[in-house]
Amino acid sequence: MTAATPLLAIRGLRAAYGKIEALKGVDVEINAGEIVALIGANGAGKSTLMMTIFGKPRARAGQILFDGRDISSVPTHQIAHLRIAQSPEGRRIFPRMSVAENLQMGADVTDSTAAERESTLERVFALFPRLKERVMQRGGTLSGGEQQMLAIGRALMSRPRLLLLDEPSLGLAPLIARQIFDAIRTLNRQDGLTVLIVEQNANHALKLAHRGYVMVNGLITLAGTGAELLQRPEIRAAYLEGGRHA
Amino acid sequence: MTALSTETTQAGRTVGIPFILKKAFLSACVALVLFSLMIGIRTEAGPDGQLTWWTRFGDLASIVGLVFGGSIVIELLRQWIGPTGAEKLVPAPIQRSLSLAGRFLGPALLVFTLLVPVIFYNQRYILDLGILVLTYVMLGWGLNVVVGLAGLLDLGYVAFYAVGAYSYALLATNFGWSFWVCLPLAGMLAAIWGVMLGFPVLRLRGDYLAIVTLAFGEIIRLVILNWQSLTGGPNGVSGIPRPTLFGIPLDNSDDGLAAKLGIEYSPTHRIIFLFYLILALALLTNWVTIRLRRLPIGRAWEALREDEVACRALGINTTTTKLTAFATGAMFGGFAGAFFATRQGFISPESFTFQESALVLAIVVLGGMGSQLGVALAALTMIGGFELFRGLETYRMLVFGMAMVLIMIWRPRGIIGHRAPTVYLTKAQAISSDLVKEGHG
Repeated sequence: MTAATPLLAIRGLRAAYGKIEALKGVDVEINAGEIVALIGANGAGKSTLMMTIFGKPRARAGQILFDGRDISSVPTHQIAHLRIAQSPEGRRIFPRMSVAENLQMGADVTDSTAAERESTLERVFALFPRLKERVMQRGGTLSGGEQQMLAIGRALMSRPRLLLLDEPSLGLAPLIARQIFDAIRTLNRQDGLTVLIVEQNANHALKLAHRGYVMVNGLITLAGTGAELLQRPEIRAAYLEGGRHA
Repeated sequence: MTALSTETTQAGRTVGIPFILKKAFLSACVALVLFSLMIGIRTEAGPDGQLTWWTRFGDLASIVGLVFGGSIVIELLRQWIGPTGAEKLVPAPIQRSLSLAGRFLGPALLVFTLLVPVIFYNQRYILDLGILVLTYVMLGWGLNVVVGLAGLLDLGYVAFYAVGAYSYALLATNFGWSFWVCLPLAGMLAAIWGVMLGFPVLRLRGDYLAIVTLAFGEIIRLVILNWQSLTGGPNGVSGIPRPTLFGIPLDNSDDGLAAKLGIEYSPTHRIIFLFYLILALALLTNWVTIRLRRLPIGRAWEALREDEVACRALGINTTTTKLTAFATGAMFGGFAGAFFATRQGFISPESFTFQESALVLAIVVLGGMGSQLGVALAALTMIGGFELFRGLETYRMLVFGMAMVLIMIWRPRGIIGHRAPTVYLTKAQAISSDLVKEGHG
């Protein structure tokens, strides 16, 4: 489709937990500057795909090409050094550490200069002013939405080229979820950040995304632009209207 | 009173007399089952070697009654003070002055400690006790790196203490090396053993980790006990050289420090030297820990305690992070061990039993995991308190157990459960104390 090589290209990826195969040959492409949504039901393998990009579990077969380089055998802790950042499922912020420390943890692994760190921090605070208000508060005392902002902020502190978001709207009030999605859109438009977002909230995710993939039982069954997918009757039936048409 | 009751119901606790009575009744039942054989029936060997026994139901009844009454009292106290949010009932001004006192407590304690040998110059007992307390402060601070910061429950910490002690003892008695050469070596050897323990337990967490570290502590002790040719087995190592002040011995000889300074020799000099030595070692431990906490590695330790999965996603190498925590903690244990050996002049495996590990762990947990001042206070209370209640003889363990239960009820996070943040924004951004307060438990 595009002339340039995609930022992340996943080809024939297989991964398994013991004998149970969670990914059965997945192909996904993400171009630089895109927001790509991955939707699917519980247990479809969305989160597994995210985690396999980070090398845990390891890919059994297939390739994960980041900027043209196969990273499927790079150790987990070095993936972040390639400037791929992740906001994991369930947020997983550090509850006893302060907001400032949580953010600092994101910057620790990179070799960014103090000035870069300062400007990234300013950017995070501009996106999520709530974090600035609560900067000395313990992470565990934040509300769910603020924790999600913190998780995204922490991921941004490593100045990523690719941001992986695993269910950012999980357990959030609709209004807060909207704020989060707005922030992601701003990041993409203003900073040109490439985002892969895994969501159960298909409606939100597909409206936000340039392109989307639908995953069922470890396989990609549908792909297309966000608007296209939103129009597909099977998507509407399965993910948007609570299965009423089924 | 009404405010209090809403507070307690908010905490999801059923209040009221039936609840208290039910709880007390259950405790009394447990006591009845436990003590019916232990206290209710007394057995003894008769004059001809036959078994004689008689019942003591009166004693049993009084014990069960005591448990029943005690349970009511504790429950009432607990409801009076509030579940764990004791801070909520403390008015803000008092709280502020308390936190002010807390800020000066550390420095005040340090100054006092520095002055102890001056104040109690003629009281050998207090000086010895001070050295003992400081040894445990150091061990507590060392273990705090592993348990408090990295969150790795280590029940075999005494192993590193033993490695350090035996390293110094054997190097000094066999090769005649001085304390100051052996001290870093003892720390290094202990750190190596820390890494050796670390490797097999990398994948373990929580209970499983605790069991393996417990076993590791026992293995080291049993090896020392049975490797007769090297360690002397149960006979231990004796004649361990006393430390010198950079080559100047602290004895009655012509080369001794007293002779060189032209003052009259007193055996107290050595005690005071030991006191300042362990104080310096403990402060070194504290300083290194405080410094490390502000570096990425220290933050990685704390993050590891909080969430291992998130650490990996952030690009932290959990393997090296865990190993450095084990190695750092073990190194300080090794230093303390070397000091122990030079102070005692004699070591044997009996000094390195599981009880020591448990005691140091109790100090860390009681003090508040991760809090340096809390650990120091806990060591002072545990070791000092233990001596204070010596007059109570066999009952002192009871007093002690009681004190620990009470602390765990009212301060489940330890004496100082508050964790000082390590990252501040630019100084221009003044941090209001209200926000900092949120950090409290």
